[in-house]
Amino acid sequence: MGGNTDTTVGRLRSGVSWSRLRRYCYDGITYLVYALAIGFFLFPVLWVLSLSLRTEGAVYTSLELIPAEPSLDSYREVLDSGILRWLWNTLFVTVLTVAGIIVVTTPAAYAFSRFEFRGRRSLLLAVLGFQMISPIVIVLPLYDIMRTLGLTESHAGLVLLYIGLQIPFSLWLLKGYFDTIPTELDKAARIDGCNRLQTLRYVLLRPVMPGIAVVAIFNFVLTWSEFVMAYTMLSPGGEDLYTLSMGIYVFDNQLATQWTNVAAAAVVGIVPIIAFFVALQRYFVRGLTEGAVKG
Amino acid sequence: MTTEPPAAERSLWARLRRTVGDGTVADFVDRGVSHPLFWLLPALLFIGVFQLYPMVEVFRMSLTDTSLISSQESYVWLENYRRLLGSERFYSTLRVTAIYSVGSIVLQLGLGLGLALAIDYGVRRGLRGPLLTRVVVLSAWVVPGIIIGLVWRIMLLETDVGVVNNALGRLGFEVVPFLSDAGMAVVSVIAAGAWRGTAFSMIMFYAGLKRVPEDLYRAAKVDGAGPVARFRYVTLPQLKPVVFVVTILVTIYSLNSFDLIFALTNGGPGRATEVIALAMYKSAFESYQMGMAAATAVVLLVVTLTVTAVYFRVFDISEEI
Repeated sequence: MGGNTDTTVGRLRSGVSWSRLRRYCYDGITYLVYALAIGFFLFPVLWVLSLSLRTEGAVYTSLELIPAEPSLDSYREVLDSGILRWLWNTLFVTVLTVAGIIVVTTPAAYAFSRFEFRGRRSLLLAVLGFQMISPIVIVLPLYDIMRTLGLTESHAGLVLLYIGLQIPFSLWLLKGYFDTIPTELDKAARIDGCNRLQTLRYVLLRPVMPGIAVVAIFNFVLTWSEFVMAYTMLSPGGEDLYTLSMGIYVFDNQLATQWTNVAAAAVVGIVPIIAFFVALQRYFVRGLTEGAVKG
Repeated sequence: MTTEPPAAERSLWARLRRTVGDGTVADFVDRGVSHPLFWLLPALLFIGVFQLYPMVEVFRMSLTDTSLISSQESYVWLENYRRLLGSERFYSTLRVTAIYSVGSIVLQLGLGLGLALAIDYGVRRGLRGPLLTRVVVLSAWVVPGIIIGLVWRIMLLETDVGVVNNALGRLGFEVVPFLSDAGMAVVSVIAAGAWRGTAFSMIMFYAGLKRVPEDLYRAAKVDGAGPVARFRYVTLPQLKPVVFVVTILVTIYSLNSFDLIFALTNGGPGRATEVIALAMYKSAFESYQMGMAAATAVVLLVVTLTVTAVYFRVFDISEEI
């Protein structure tokens, strides 16, 4: 009995509560970070949504996110301007690009991961080297090439161009993914009589699917948002060819200060891609965390 | 056991082998399929046409006086570069690009790492909110750059429409010239860029954090390392390869930024936010001087490659790729 045990207990107890206190403190800071981040990253989207739902006069006065007199007038005007056509064009170009990239990149990633051949490493590094080059650097010669090939003012041409530009990064991602799959699978398939094509099709495709999903989602987002190439290659072709990004840019320049209409156009450009991404981000993050990001 | 090809296909294959015999069709297919070129050819073709050739071509163009409006073309050799290096505008774009890039890299890597740590911590502790935070930040990343520029321009307007100035006004502040003052415009462009780009750093860092083995933390804890020491001696070294990749990619994106700035300020006021890519695009498609523009593009490429090479030196990471 006596003070000795008491102080020990007391010290223990205060030690426990001290570490608990520290933990609460960290939790609090973390929640604060969450709140700030959500505020900062969500606000512009909410604000443009709010603007798009106002009457033209209400943009100057109120700061409420939910407008007092909501109106869909701006959407009516924007939908008349051909934005649905641009939406369709963008979807068309994006889907074809993503499909093309997967078809071209998967076999190449497989080869880099599974074949031993002379110059493999240097070829891979060369391909990766192109990742260092931003498309904007080569937009001028690309314009010439596309003109020579008769591929400007055409969605098919734009798709081919996007595939060509986006291969290196996709290849890198997917090759990293193939590398995480044990080669024992290949050997087993070989013993079962599969050639390489069958091995890829029947054995490796399933485990590599999360990687393909990452490549597909990433390129979908990238292609949907792309501006410079579309603007350069499609501009002379008339409004019917426009993609969303360039359509909205041109539309914005024409409208100047009709803010509600500009905002409505922006919302039409933002909502589908955010919806797409929010629905699929789980696969994107899972694929990234499981294998594709290698140092 | 692994999945087998369907029985029908195997027997067909077997029959083919039996009837044709080894050494002809089946063998030909087998041999073709087992050659790497068969797998690589489409990708290499695409890269050749849309990346390798244009790369060579941009160098060649930069040595000519080629123009969008005339079909005449002759070699002027280094004349374009001489004019470029002699122009005030060129140095101004270089400076703007440097400031914009440094600001973007610091802000995006810093915010990205902070958010990744907060989300990773929240997930490990089972807090509420990490998923929502992650989704919201990533959503900003998928908004097309041109639309981000446009939305931020509306928010930063210097009339009452601009929500930021409107709010500041109500709090009793003066109107802040976010887009009409040269210095503020650069800050605005960097902020909008961070709004878009932070998600990329965040998600890459988060992926890196998830791969740090839990054992390492436990071992460090046993050795008496506090949270700060654990971060310094466990997390950071483990993250190094990811930091390297993210730094390089964010740098490349920042140096080559175009669409967001094109829509937000179009290089203004004056040339205060005119980055190299923007100057290049304008001299090609507004002044029609393709040769000059190509020379600018080559400079941009050289700058990008130089910075990347410096990173490789600094990080000393060659064995890890």
